[in-house]
Amino acid sequence: MQVFLQTLIGGITFGAVYALVAMGFSIVYRTMGLVNFAHGSVVMIGAYAASTFYLATQLPFAVAIVVAIVVTGLIGLVIERFLRPLENKDFTLMLIGTIGFGAVLEAGAVLVWGATGHAVPSPVATAPIDLAGVRIPTYSLMVIAIAAAATGLLALFLQRTKRGAAMQAVAMDHQAATAVGIHVGRSNALAFAIGAGLAALAGSLIGPMLYVNPTMGGTLGIKGFAAAMLGGFGSMPGAIVGGLAFGLLDSFAAGNFQEYSELVTFLVFALVVMIRPTGIFGEATVNRA
Amino acid sequence: MKRLAWLVPVALAAWLLPYGLGGYSIHVIDVAIIFAILAIGLGLTMGVAGQINLAQVAFFGVGAYTVAILTTQAGLGFWTAAVLAVVAAVVFGILVGIPALRMQSHYLGIVTLGLALAFTNWVTNSTIAGRAEGISDIPVPPMFGIDLSSGYLFYYVELLVFVVSLAFALFVTRSPLGRRLRAMRDDDLAAGALGAEIPLLRMTAFVLSGLYGGVAGVLYAGLIRFVAPESFNIANMFLLLAMVIIGGRASIVGCVIGAIGLAMVREALLDASGYAQLGYGLVVVLVVVFAPKGLAGLPEQLRLLLRRRGSGSRAQLGPFLPYDSAPAAAEGDALDVRNVTKRFKGLIALDTVSLTVPTGQIRGIVGPNGSGKTTLFNVISGFYTATQGSVLLGGHDVTGEAPYRLSQRGVARTFQNLRLFEDLSVRENILVGLDRTRTAWIWRYPILPWKVLGYERRLRARAEELIERFGLADVAGAEPRSLPYGIQRRIELARAMAMSPTLLLLDEPAAGLNGEEVRQLGEIVRSIRDSGVTVVIIEHNMGLVMSLCEQVTVLSGGKVIADGPPAEVAVHPDVVAAYLGDSMTAPTEAAAEAAIEEATR
Repeated sequence: MQVFLQTLIGGITFGAVYALVAMGFSIVYRTMGLVNFAHGSVVMIGAYAASTFYLATQLPFAVAIVVAIVVTGLIGLVIERFLRPLENKDFTLMLIGTIGFGAVLEAGAVLVWGATGHAVPSPVATAPIDLAGVRIPTYSLMVIAIAAAATGLLALFLQRTKRGAAMQAVAMDHQAATAVGIHVGRSNALAFAIGAGLAALAGSLIGPMLYVNPTMGGTLGIKGFAAAMLGGFGSMPGAIVGGLAFGLLDSFAAGNFQEYSELVTFLVFALVVMIRPTGIFGEATVNRA
Repeated sequence: MKRLAWLVPVALAAWLLPYGLGGYSIHVIDVAIIFAILAIGLGLTMGVAGQINLAQVAFFGVGAYTVAILTTQAGLGFWTAAVLAVVAAVVFGILVGIPALRMQSHYLGIVTLGLALAFTNWVTNSTIAGRAEGISDIPVPPMFGIDLSSGYLFYYVELLVFVVSLAFALFVTRSPLGRRLRAMRDDDLAAGALGAEIPLLRMTAFVLSGLYGGVAGVLYAGLIRFVAPESFNIANMFLLLAMVIIGGRASIVGCVIGAIGLAMVREALLDASGYAQLGYGLVVVLVVVFAPKGLAGLPEQLRLLLRRRGSGSRAQLGPFLPYDSAPAAAEGDALDVRNVTKRFKGLIALDTVSLTVPTGQIRGIVGPNGSGKTTLFNVISGFYTATQGSVLLGGHDVTGEAPYRLSQRGVARTFQNLRLFEDLSVRENILVGLDRTRTAWIWRYPILPWKVLGYERRLRARAEELIERFGLADVAGAEPRSLPYGIQRRIELARAMAMSPTLLLLDEPAAGLNGEEVRQLGEIVRSIRDSGVTVVIIEHNMGLVMSLCEQVTVLSGGKVIADGPPAEVAVHPDVVAAYLGDSMTAPTEAAAEAAIEEATR
């Protein structure tokens, strides 16, 4: 039971981060129909930006996160500008183009930070909370709280603000949105920047839990992507549920199969999506293909 | 044979190449050839069949690792192990391909990528696969006393395998199978309606992928004689992808050029590998944005650019040459729809619809938008399964059969929003329709290739006949998207008729046509009927319906509200109400007749 609860806590913590990654995927996918395979690499850049700033300046971790969000948000704008010709076009090309962009970011990270990577000390130095024999690291609680807060803010933005509503409109029908006077290009750029910002948040949060290195983006991106698929591509609640589900799957696989966890995780994932390709909540946007 | 003359110097150069190279250079070439074989496999699955397969590098790994494990641990000879390794890679390919039956595009991409990661994870941790250190001491492949540990001699083995692989891939892409694969890539629904067994074709793509991956893996094991997880990781998958994209994914030769070129560039930039990685990424992005067809597509892109400056001649439709009339083959009902209901969650699109079409009739189906006409076609042609009720074709119950099966039973259809295969020429579009073989026929490809070639020649002859008949001779070589709408409609009709159907379903064939084109359409449809084909036609152009159809069925809100000769139906009060609202007074018999007269004039 104790082991179960311990694994559960770990799963939820990673799940919260996967949910952030998946939300970043989803917001870009639903607004501009772009499957962004470079997203994982943006997460990696976010992790590097946050940890480098944090280690170099010794300022509070929150400041580092904000810096990382700004940096990746800007990178997001650049990527969006580059890939604009591909939006709402051939899926295969888009996919390959974004994979190419991911490789560029990864190679860039190797050039800037070197191939080895670095460890990041936990920003919360207090001892884990002991709850009936289950040790809950305070950092885990912080991660979960920040992820929940970010989710809440994003939901508020999408539902309560004019820009958010415009973004939803673009997601449903970009031509109709143009017709009612929404600047689709600007709205898409904003969506991409938000997606990149979410990636940076996820990256900064996961930095202290993992080892920050240039190749972390590949695995994280695939897992976040898989989480988005599990929940239902393009659906925001789906991204959250899928993220948590994938985090739990990951952590229980690690608990039971140790080094073979990745094998088990992806086999289970393949089986689940075989049974239900549209995920838990189904695809939120019409099939754009 | 003259066309192949250029092969002689190429072959000679390939044969003499090792004489001019140092020991290290020949090793580089050996590795490049292995990548080229891998790239051919990826080009076949991704470029030709349109299956996003990001596990190609894992197929490669399965091949290499199987050789390594079987030779070092089970003590098998190299070539026995090699055969088993190729089999293992194909089996793995089939397993990875199974998800393709349920999902496509980015979904398939992420699942195959996940499975590739699972493979890397397994070989990194499994003791039998030598964990992170890998397996060394793979024996030198024996070859009648020739020492294959020499990179020079191994080059000739590779060259031979490569030439066979390339020839087979080219043969497959240019044969009926390759055409079906490309048709499936462009539009799997339309390909299914034309008789292509989509599930089997997708698996075929993955079998080919596994085959090429396995062969490359065997060569790799024989050349390097050492396997380790990092040779089969995601970074190498990306490199492979870059090769295929830069070369041009839909062109096998392009893939080979991309692979060999990039392998050379990689070698040249070994000292600056960080920047090289950056460069590949950028080149891939640029290629995707500016030259989506890669190097292989560049000549055509340039030609188009040049031609835009010059004057182009407008494509013209020739006259239609009527079919010889033949009495309908069998008496009785060609189509019998019995109490079909189709429900989409809460919406009832079809509500106990029944209709019977006698053989040799032209039946019109009309009704307001959203009345369920296209849904009915989708049920008849197998795209939807009826929630209730049954569909009979010539007396056989075919309820719930897949589109390709119905197509083989003689059902052909056209689509409301044209579904032509965009990247296939008009001639190829028609050839896809003409090819009536089952996919199980594909065992002939490796065993009896000359039979396939003979079959292809006969298909081509028949295609010319059909192109002539439908007046498409001027446009036969063009891509459909470059042609005017009216011609595209004609092509779709010709493609449907290529299947020699017994039942032809036309979904709004006159939409977007001008008056003269509508008149020609009427003629064509009549001639098709006279040749013994039963025609069911959905149409909003009432003039055409009234003049063409012997009987008209009216749908409204998913129900049949009237059924009878056009003149009777047109004045039926329910029909008038459905079309015009019930506040209007019904037109008189005389007015209806006048309308018919006008339409037939």
